[in-house]
Amino acid sequence: MSRPGDAQRGSGRAVAGARSTGAGFGRVLVTVYGVLAFAALGRSSYELATKFTEAPVAYSLSALAALVYVVATVALALGAAPVWRRVAWAAVGVEAVGVLAVGSASLVSRDVFGESTVWSLYGQGYGYVPLVLPFVGLWWLWRTRGPAAHGPRGSDPADGSEETTA
Amino acid sequence: MLLPLLILLIALCVALGGWAAWFVVKDRAVILNQLWGGAVVEGVLIAQAITAAIRGATGGGPSDPLLFWGYMATALVILPVAAAWAFAERTKWSSVVLLVAALTVAFLDFRLWQIWTGA
Repeated sequence: MSRPGDAQRGSGRAVAGARSTGAGFGRVLVTVYGVLAFAALGRSSYELATKFTEAPVAYSLSALAALVYVVATVALALGAAPVWRRVAWAAVGVEAVGVLAVGSASLVSRDVFGESTVWSLYGQGYGYVPLVLPFVGLWWLWRTRGPAAHGPRGSDPADGSEETTA
Repeated sequence: MLLPLLILLIALCVALGGWAAWFVVKDRAVILNQLWGGAVVEGVLIAQAITAAIRGATGGGPSDPLLFWGYMATALVILPVAAAWAFAERTKWSSVVLLVAALTVAFLDFRLWQIWTGA
């Protein structure tokens, strides 16, 4: 169960135990999230500004998706702090549920929401990136979690004072 | 939008992406020269924006200006942000970030062309 990096844990980092979600592979994850956030935000602003009344449900869903991507990007980038890590879990979780729910609904009835959204057909319009990304995000959050989340070793991650002298 | 600038920009993005991909294989972090490469791409992108603005002002602009300039704004922002974000990471993952950014800009430029020509 020992992973590279275990040795440096709790040695005076911002959060004892938990690794930053924005470093290493996480830097790529945040980049892809950022691009998707920009894409979704641009699309949503355009829809809201030009044709919101045509399909309010679909365009509201797109706006919600855009907002969640922005929150997920920021939270993953700042993931060294416990509060941002929790926000990231929530945002990425909402995405996973959203893309599966909206994707399945759009599969049953093509125009259930009146118009297509970022999450329609499991994000087909975006190369299925919206489908893959939340699960990669969940895996990454789980992988970089602190020792308190998986057993007796280590102290309370919110404390961390005992380990700094080790 | 001018076709030669489009071809030049996509070629430059592919070259920059290839350079970054080579660094991923070699397990190396982004170097300053690659950021200069990114600056060249950004320069061509700005040239595209200027020519598009001039064409638009003289009546030959895109059929959907809002959509076009939305995409243009996104394309202009990506490389500077990605470069800063990548350069702070001193592992091969920074090279992956640059690769993703270069491919994204190439794709966005292709979309810009589609919107411009009304395809």
